Amino acid sequence: MTVRVPEHERLSLENGVSLILVPRRDVPLVAFSAVLRGGALGDPSSRPGVASMVAGLLEKGAGERNAYAFADVVEGVGGSFGAGAGAEAITVRGQFLARDQQLMLDLLADALLRPLLEEEELEEMASRHVELIKAAKDSDPAELIGTYGRAFLFGDHPYGRPVFGSEASLAAIDREDVQRYYEAQFGAERLILVLAGDIDDGLLARMAADSFSRWPRTPAPPPVLPRPRAFTGRRVLLVDFPGSAQTYFWIGNVGVDKRYPRRAALDLVNTLFGGRFTSLLNTELRIKSGLSYGARSSFARGSVPGEFSLRSFAQTENTGTAIDLALRTLDRLRRDGVNRSMLDSARAYTLGQYPLGLETAADWAGMLAEIELYGLGRGYIDDYPAQLAAVDVPEAHAVIEEAFPTSDSVAIVAIGDAARIRGALAEYGPVSHMSLTGSEFSGWWASGDENRP
Amino acid sequence: MSIPAASLDPVRDPRRASRAAPRELTVSGREAVRATTLANGMRVIVWPVHNIPNVALYNWVRAGSRNESPGATGLAHFFEHMMFNGTSRHPPGEFDRLMEAEGGANNAFTSDDVTVYQDWFPARALERVLDLEADRVAHLAFTPEVIESERGVVASERRLRVEDNSHGLLAEQVQAAAFVAHPYRFPTIGWPADIQSWRMEDLQAFYRTYYAPNNLTLALAGDVDVDRAFELARRYFEPIPAQVPPPPVRAVEPEQLCERRILIRRKAQTPLLQCAYKAPRAADPRAPAVSLLLCALVEGDASRLHRSLVEDRRLAIEVGGHWQEGFDPGLLWLSLALPEGADPEEAREALDAELAAVAADGITEAELERARNLATVGLWKKLAAVDGKAQLLGEYEVFHGDWSKLFDAPARIAAVSTEELRAIALEILDERRRTLGVLVPDTAPVSVRR
Repeated sequence: MTVRVPEHERLSLENGVSLILVPRRDVPLVAFSAVLRGGALGDPSSRPGVASMVAGLLEKGAGERNAYAFADVVEGVGGSFGAGAGAEAITVRGQFLARDQQLMLDLLADALLRPLLEEEELEEMASRHVELIKAAKDSDPAELIGTYGRAFLFGDHPYGRPVFGSEASLAAIDREDVQRYYEAQFGAERLILVLAGDIDDGLLARMAADSFSRWPRTPAPPPVLPRPRAFTGRRVLLVDFPGSAQTYFWIGNVGVDKRYPRRAALDLVNTLFGGRFTSLLNTELRIKSGLSYGARSSFARGSVPGEFSLRSFAQTENTGTAIDLALRTLDRLRRDGVNRSMLDSARAYTLGQYPLGLETAADWAGMLAEIELYGLGRGYIDDYPAQLAAVDVPEAHAVIEEAFPTSDSVAIVAIGDAARIRGALAEYGPVSHMSLTGSEFSGWWASGDENRP
Repeated sequence: MSIPAASLDPVRDPRRASRAAPRELTVSGREAVRATTLANGMRVIVWPVHNIPNVALYNWVRAGSRNESPGATGLAHFFEHMMFNGTSRHPPGEFDRLMEAEGGANNAFTSDDVTVYQDWFPARALERVLDLEADRVAHLAFTPEVIESERGVVASERRLRVEDNSHGLLAEQVQAAAFVAHPYRFPTIGWPADIQSWRMEDLQAFYRTYYAPNNLTLALAGDVDVDRAFELARRYFEPIPAQVPPPPVRAVEPEQLCERRILIRRKAQTPLLQCAYKAPRAADPRAPAVSLLLCALVEGDASRLHRSLVEDRRLAIEVGGHWQEGFDPGLLWLSLALPEGADPEEAREALDAELAAVAADGITEAELERARNLATVGLWKKLAAVDGKAQLLGEYEVFHGDWSKLFDAPARIAAVSTEELRAIALEILDERRRTLGVLVPDTAPVSVRR
């Protein structure tokens, strides 16, 4: 038994809406995933977070319901409904009991086509998100390290902006930003809507005739992403977290995109390098040395190359030891590559694990929307086992060459006690500085100007 | 492009089944699940489901921080780590290498009550996984160098979850203050000095006592044949001898007579407020009402506390809560994240006013209906995956004494009345029986008034 894209119905409405229905009757639920192309690409460059605020506002009043009435009706039937912005799309996801599927669709149509986008709700949400960022710094600073890392790595490229906004940008976003975003970025041809689960017969026909079919198109296509330039040389960003017990670090460079042709080989090599418990990174930083609770690596892949990154943490006094070890492990991958038996193990692991992420109706709603968004085709799933089977050592080595950085060409971000780790970090290259309590994820200053507030 | 729709599997299409009860109230599959007790007392429960070619395994060990003693806290959690670190048959690291090479992944978690080992693997790896799981229950190795290295890993985990984490730091102190007699006061990860001081004898004694087959419950769900799963479980686990059952935890927490308060000052930007109320054990017949009370208070934007404290009054930026459902009466937690500069005392007063209203008047029928529906959907979301099925089977067997009670869960949720909920709210939301924790930034001029 292998996992294949389940039978489904597809329909492209005349106005450009893509509808996909995946019937599945194992539990009495219906899930949806609605993806609107654009996402944070539509943010003004000076105000990241607008798309994120628009996404959040979709359920804060729509159609005839204000924010409270909307939450009451969703949760009153036990449903879930939530939207968030990504770098290239806004995604709305939800799940309801099958008996409430018409209500679910009505709510989704209201949220997408008739959101109220009220000023008061915006102001409340933005100020709350500012505080949530501060709270995250107090309880899980590692959660934010990727945001600092992307800002440092991508610079002015849209991938460098914080998708959820910064404390400073959120405070500046006003109702006009939100309205302008909605008018430019919301429309029929941007929408991919996948429904999966215990769907009523005839639902597709009903939807083809309902409000989604009368939604106008957007005035213009989504902004085109430039290809980011890889980071050359090695530089360090030190985010000061005085008194921290541990240093949290992130090492990255520009990787590959969603349509990277050697995706199966990439998955196998990353599994071996930092994608599973026995990976090279976790073996060095956790299993053999006991330096850290864990170390991982991953690739973020969008319509243009996102970042390769590795992440770990270690006690403040072991900061240099742990970063050295991570960089040496990257060198080792680049120098020694992988062998046949490593590949076989990673292949078995990947084949054994990917079905677990494609089990439920909600899983498939998400996956089919992603396939549609990036134009990947059903082969992205159906051909994956054969692609994994075909990966050989030369292809794995090609991937290491193409997708993994060398240790002398990386951006390094460390969140830790600057007074105690500044010296160790200076070994890796020029150090730029920020404070964890600052209101931006960028805006660092150079060494030698450390007294800057 | 159009992909033709194939016909649905008629066996799995419930529309063809009886319409006697609403679908969402009937969990099917009870007849497919089978359970057995091995000769050594180990329970094995199997739910065959063939959605995906994979299996989820949960091995429940009845050992948590509840079974620890002063000076040796964190042992149960340390074992969760050590169980991956080699046996007399397999050197350190081989458990993971062998499992991953056959397509399996694993994890584990420790709570106040239990330690649970989880594996997710392709169906063909069943025998290898059961062999590995049995091997570490029978033949764990205690290598001094490995123990030392693992101490470092656990210390790093503690820094991540407690020392560099406002929320974890406060919760640890609140929990320690909430109990005076019962070992639920111990932090599961262990006090820092204890992490550094476990001795080999402590580890060996803990292993012998708690990692005995008669103290384990194994739950499997997924692409398995029940008879083969039983046969393999017998082959690998049955040779492990039963041990004298672990000593019962006899400590009974005395009635809490007054509110206890904790105030922590820490380098931070935002304050936190946590309330831990004494609450019933998992097996209490009123358990569904407790869960629904918590749901009515904090789950979702329409919940009482979110709406009042986050949206209406903007005193908090987030509300949360959980019920520590254990073998013994534990805690029902409510927590508020507050904005920078907020006065925790003002937030506490508002919280108390809301809770007093719920204790006095209960919640409305609409709020109860909302909580029932959210709980039902939450259950179904778990039941949609083999992972959730294996977890729930084990949870019901271990904490409720019978896996089959899972199949009555929607009906039990549906049966909770507003009167029942008001009674449990009145009992739990009693200020005299709570521990209040406040964390304020070390620069804040705030004090907590008595």
